[in-house]
Amino acid sequence: MTVLILTSEEDVTADMVVARLHEAGAPVMRLDPADLPGKAVLSARYAHGDFEGHLSVNGRVLSMGGLRSVWVRRPGEPAAHAAHSSAWLTAETRQALFGMLYSGSTRWMNHPRNADRARLKPWQLRAAHLSGFAVPPTVFTTSPRLARQFAEEHREVVVKSASGPPPGDPTLALPTTLIGPDSDFSGVAAGPALLQRYIRKRADIRLTCVSTRLFAARKTAQPDQVDGRYGDTGHTWEAVSVPERVGKSVHEYVAMAGLAYAAFDFAEDEEGFWWFLECNQSGQFGFVELETGQPISEAVALWLAQRQAGRGQQWRGRR
Amino acid sequence: MRPFTLNYAFPRPLPIVVTPYSFDESLQLNVLPDGRPAVTDRDLLLAAGTTTSTAGSQTHFDD
Repeated sequence: MTVLILTSEEDVTADMVVARLHEAGAPVMRLDPADLPGKAVLSARYAHGDFEGHLSVNGRVLSMGGLRSVWVRRPGEPAAHAAHSSAWLTAETRQALFGMLYSGSTRWMNHPRNADRARLKPWQLRAAHLSGFAVPPTVFTTSPRLARQFAEEHREVVVKSASGPPPGDPTLALPTTLIGPDSDFSGVAAGPALLQRYIRKRADIRLTCVSTRLFAARKTAQPDQVDGRYGDTGHTWEAVSVPERVGKSVHEYVAMAGLAYAAFDFAEDEEGFWWFLECNQSGQFGFVELETGQPISEAVALWLAQRQAGRGQQWRGRR
Repeated sequence: MRPFTLNYAFPRPLPIVVTPYSFDESLQLNVLPDGRPAVTDRDLLLAAGTTTSTAGSQTHFDD
């Protein structure tokens, strides 16, 4: 039974898991959907009430009947490397690949249907509320008046993108930014704005959840630092224990979201309280493992290769 | 009119990262010139920054 990893060749974080799978003797196929069609070949046959599917790449062949699990890591767009790539070819290839994978019975980390929903920041906030996390007051709006009203109520608020920087321009940074009520909010009418009450933090927390296993890491923030991803604080990530209340909420959240893997970001305030900021369903973990030594790649590999899902069975993508 | 959120975007020079490893199709992971898997060199990966959250932001919406 084979583990299928959908990711790009450049993804060295995936390498960490591939190496673990090799050590365990677990068969693995690494495939970038961008290489289909072309380097990779697909065939799915639906006839006489039955289904057979095969994938091949770099001399390896995977039958859908022998598929143990799928890890959706950093896949390229289907057909992106094709000789005559186009939006239409990407759509056709996506249909063929994911339609075939959905036709089988396998475990997903994470199922794309659940991943799509889990990426939505407004949904994350609702799920976080329902899971018992502390969530800073937040507004999404296209109304300049409501945006100004929110900023006047909370005085110090941050603005951040829900979907990340504009795609296609890797030189553009869009960090979470602290603003005040005297900002010019007229541009809110031109695009939904995400405003959130600023949490004055003393540390960033990254909590990586792999099925039932939790790995929390803490990085001391500089005074008045807003976005921990930007700027060098001179501090490194250190492993910390997970407060019982937070751990319970994490398990409730991932069960609700149907996720086998999730990376949570929290702000630790001056009293040591953890505030939920967001949950990245495919968040990076390589930098955390390298700095803390936490065995996250091993946990991912174990989940992907295990025969029985145990508690993780609920994450098969049935939601 | 410019969307409000983009008022806080700014250009930044991309670091020139030369990754001294390449993908090995038989091993299905990246290897160093001497054949060792790149993941065996922790210091190199940290220096390259290719496992960080902002590295993901440049190419992907999950970080």
